[in-house]
Amino acid sequence: MTVTQPILGSTLPKRPSAIQRAWESFAIVFDSTVGTVGVAMVAFWISVALISLVWTPYPANATDFIQNESPTLTHPLGTDHLGRDSLSRLMVGTQVILVKTRLPDELFGYTLPFGDWPMPVGVAIWGVLGSLTLGSLLGLMAGYQGGWHDTIIMQILDALIAFPRIVLYLVVISAMGQGDLVVILAITITGAPGVARLVRSLAMDIKTRDYIRAAETRGESVWYIMFWEILPNARGPLLVDGMLRVGYAIFAIGTLGFLGIGLPPPDPDWGNMVNEARPFIFVTPWPVIWPSIAIASLVIGLNLFADGYREELTRYQK
Amino acid sequence: MARFLIRSFISTVVTMLLVSMLLFFLIDIGGGDVTVKILGIQATPEQRESLRKQLGLDQSTVTRYATWLIGNDWWVPVEYPIISVTNIKTGENEYWADVNGQATRWMMEDGELFALQRQPDGSTVKEPAEVWQNDSKGEIFWGLNNANSAVKWVRGSGEVVFIKTAAGIREEKDGPSQYIPLSKGMLRGDLGRSMRTRRPVAVTLWPRVRNTAILAFVAFVLIMPLALFLGIVAGINEGKPIDRFISVTSLAATATPEFVSGVFLILVLGIWLELVPPVAVFLTDDAIFQNPEMLILPLLTLTLVEVGYVARMTRASMVEVMGAPYIRTAIIKGMPFHRVVIRHAIRNALMAPITVIMLHVNYLVGGLVVVEAIFGYPGLGNYIYDAAIFGDFSAVLAAAMITVIIAIITRLLGDLAYTFLNPRIRYS
Repeated sequence: MTVTQPILGSTLPKRPSAIQRAWESFAIVFDSTVGTVGVAMVAFWISVALISLVWTPYPANATDFIQNESPTLTHPLGTDHLGRDSLSRLMVGTQVILVKTRLPDELFGYTLPFGDWPMPVGVAIWGVLGSLTLGSLLGLMAGYQGGWHDTIIMQILDALIAFPRIVLYLVVISAMGQGDLVVILAITITGAPGVARLVRSLAMDIKTRDYIRAAETRGESVWYIMFWEILPNARGPLLVDGMLRVGYAIFAIGTLGFLGIGLPPPDPDWGNMVNEARPFIFVTPWPVIWPSIAIASLVIGLNLFADGYREELTRYQK
Repeated sequence: MARFLIRSFISTVVTMLLVSMLLFFLIDIGGGDVTVKILGIQATPEQRESLRKQLGLDQSTVTRYATWLIGNDWWVPVEYPIISVTNIKTGENEYWADVNGQATRWMMEDGELFALQRQPDGSTVKEPAEVWQNDSKGEIFWGLNNANSAVKWVRGSGEVVFIKTAAGIREEKDGPSQYIPLSKGMLRGDLGRSMRTRRPVAVTLWPRVRNTAILAFVAFVLIMPLALFLGIVAGINEGKPIDRFISVTSLAATATPEFVSGVFLILVLGIWLELVPPVAVFLTDDAIFQNPEMLILPLLTLTLVEVGYVARMTRASMVEVMGAPYIRTAIIKGMPFHRVVIRHAIRNALMAPITVIMLHVNYLVGGLVVVEAIFGYPGLGNYIYDAAIFGDFSAVLAAAMITVIIAIITRLLGDLAYTFLNPRIRYS
């Protein structure tokens, strides 16, 4: 019996493209009901944010003569104490969290060249990206290099973790004033220690593998091994952690907004909407209810998403 | 074991030092000008500068950190020993110089110094004092003034100073040329003086800490049994509807921010069902003892947010234990199910949650800040929040340091509890 040799490049299945592979590793979340529900909730809010960029029923800060109104046909979710349309404000409230970051006119004395143009992607996402970057750097240095790197970094992180999170936010914001970038910084600083601990434990596990030994034997630099060999292999748990952190960040932004020290005006902020409408709760509860539901559903959605994804991820790893 | 204890003790001390430095320098670098807040925006630059000097803000950051940490009553250039005496009227500590057994402070009038000698009944007797010392710049004297600062007077040339009083800003001649506010230092139990009120932070802070401790303790006692019970029930019935229900509800409750659940509880229980007063006004720091029903809504809010987390931890740990071979063995050998659960499963399953609970005190404190802000509860969280908004440096520092110390100590206890409960870990 003759065995036909496949000709290289003709019959071998093609390696799927990077996008395809990323999608496939993401799509496992749809195997879990919980995860699918979570994805749907998050996708809903992202689409609301994108729609609100081009269309809202009314301008977010336009006032009507009818104040504290219950839902009607003209104002589907009612109006707040200044007669502003709750639906429009709710929609625009997603933007700063998810799809845009407002830059200040000047930073450290330099005038920024972008003028009124916001940065793409919202405060919550930048904050989490910041804490993932900083946390990974510290965690890799502590976990892979070990020794005194490890001791010093972990000691500093322990100190940061010791702060109750809200106290750290209060201190950072009372020290640096309000602003989108300050909120991003606050989220970065509070999130980084947790990420670093996770990455450290993953790195300590991964650095015993053979391919790391191989890279070391090849004479690769420490940075190459940390960022090209270890970090990509830690991406699963990191991704789950990142998603949970986006949830925490939205939670925190809401809380800060409620305390009146979150994202600055003029854009509406869900937490601040609750805070502003709270004195009128005896008149009409609606302006309080909508943003509350919005925050809760977005955070719960992200949690479900992360839970479902982790469930499927660990199932495939077993 | 002993080595582990020593190591965790040293690490705790180092952590606290680092935290205090981080806090101090973070607030110091970024903090705005507190004098604007204290004096109001109408104050002139001279008035603000004078207040800055009186608050000791013209000293270097490192000096102030050292003062805050270890105090300065033993190294300020005053030649008499400094003693602290309790003021009979206010009950607050004051600093006096011990001049041959006589508690003394000084004041300047028309360029000359007078000693204020403290009498046993708290009043003072004013007498002229000849205490000037020669210096390269003339005759000077380092003494104590009546605002608990070590100050430097120069003979014949009193400075113009501005003093903030309840009625406004008062201009005074014959002021000192340099101030060093006295402190015993954090390590010796002095939390410092509030910049806003100039009273010791401890006087206002301790009642707040007590109130928060009551709230946290009652919440803890309510939350933990409930959470452990729910977690265990869910863990035993893994995958069944009851487990799904508990898991999803606790996830939803945990993921909902405190202010959302707080407002919803006010809405439902306070306004629609009228079960509890929707608005609680805490007029004094002791109001919670006069009508304890004010605690209901804050407690419920905390419970909602915190129960879910611990319940989920317990469930995960319970599920893991229930799948272990020794549980299967126990069931197969015919042991009644409830005995398997109580005897074998729970004891092992509770190990992880207990450490998590101790770590969780940190989050509980965080949640308390928000809950106290929602309900106007006179606690530590509200204190930090108010102080941070005002920019009251020393009050934020003291209050934040207390929360950090609580967090670090509970974490250490959690570590110890884990070591104690888990015979496999001996760390030696």
